[in-house]
Amino acid sequence: MTPGERDALAAEYVLGTLDARATAELRGAMETDAALADAVAGWEQRLAPLQLLATPEAPPPDLWARLERTLGGGARRKAWRFPWPAFGLGAGALAAGLAAFIVFRPPPAAPLMTVLLTSRDQPAYLVEAERGTLRLAALNPRGIEAGRVMQLWALPQGATAPTSLGLIPESGRFSVTPQNIRPEPGMLIEISLEPPGGSTTGRPTGPILFIGRLSAAGNS
Amino acid sequence: MSDAAALLLRIAGEDRTALQALYKLQSVRLFGVAMAILRDRDAAADAVHDGFVNVARRAAQFDAERGTAEGWLGSIIRHAALDIARRRGREIPTDDATLGDTPVEAAQLDSITASEEGARLRACLADLPEKNRQGIVLAFVHGLSHPQIAARLELPLGTVKAWIRRGLLTLRECLA
Repeated sequence: MTPGERDALAAEYVLGTLDARATAELRGAMETDAALADAVAGWEQRLAPLQLLATPEAPPPDLWARLERTLGGGARRKAWRFPWPAFGLGAGALAAGLAAFIVFRPPPAAPLMTVLLTSRDQPAYLVEAERGTLRLAALNPRGIEAGRVMQLWALPQGATAPTSLGLIPESGRFSVTPQNIRPEPGMLIEISLEPPGGSTTGRPTGPILFIGRLSAAGNS
Repeated sequence: MSDAAALLLRIAGEDRTALQALYKLQSVRLFGVAMAILRDRDAAADAVHDGFVNVARRAAQFDAERGTAEGWLGSIIRHAALDIARRRGREIPTDDATLGDTPVEAAQLDSITASEEGARLRACLADLPEKNRQGIVLAFVHGLSHPQIAARLELPLGTVKAWIRRGLLTLRECLA
């Protein structure tokens, strides 16, 4: 195989246009052919930005539990214990059914989530809300203009002005339990660009960079 | 180092809580990647499941010198989804409304320019003839096979194969 042929094959593999047989052969060859593995890695890197063209969508709520069952070991649980997912995307129908039996423990409010999108509909932040706490995580970390900060806001349905939920640290990870409002389906969550220290007017003063609407986790 | 890259390091050390944290951080984006290829929630869930099993086993192979953790994860999920599509004989409706009539409008590609790499790829894609560009995006994003792309773009199969091959070659030169 010439270097040109090898590279063309690697490119078609990464693109996804090889059939099942050629794919299996190539994966086998990559185990021993370092140059081929290198060519594939190069194409993965070149084309990776195209992944952003796919629209984000919440997976089924029970998927993590299924994955844990497959992987086994590690965090093994006793059979009588309900495998509560430790985060918001889980719970779901099974939890709702079980909650009826767990009389000494009030069922948690259904978790909510949204993906904050840019003006070009690109995913920027994942927001989850459960038991009154909002958690924010950057999906595609990016820098912001020097000397500016990002401020998080919530706009309950029917409200005329948003409520500030605080400034977002540079890490992009943020958790807040608002005192005067409660996360609910339909609530708008937005992030604006503000001067250091945040808006002094109680309303966003800079452009809204990212926006999304809370809905029940699992419904997309 | 991104959060995802740090988590991959911990997963390589068999830290199951790190896998769960990574799932929480990335599963919405990755399920979207699988949905774009399979257009079926059950099949896309299978792809994310299979992909994450792979992530758990291969996390030590992630090499930060060769791209971002997000890109590496996306590539594993894509290949898991493509494997499922191949097993189904790629009998996936390509007239799906979610693909739209003109799936690869030039303006849509602007959305990949957030990163420096994305901006360069966008510029190089823009230099390709329209149908070469469409073929590449239909294959990569929507998992279409050569015959499906030929049907969709109303071009002979041989032409599509040659154009995609030439398009990839041009991209490589442009990005070098």
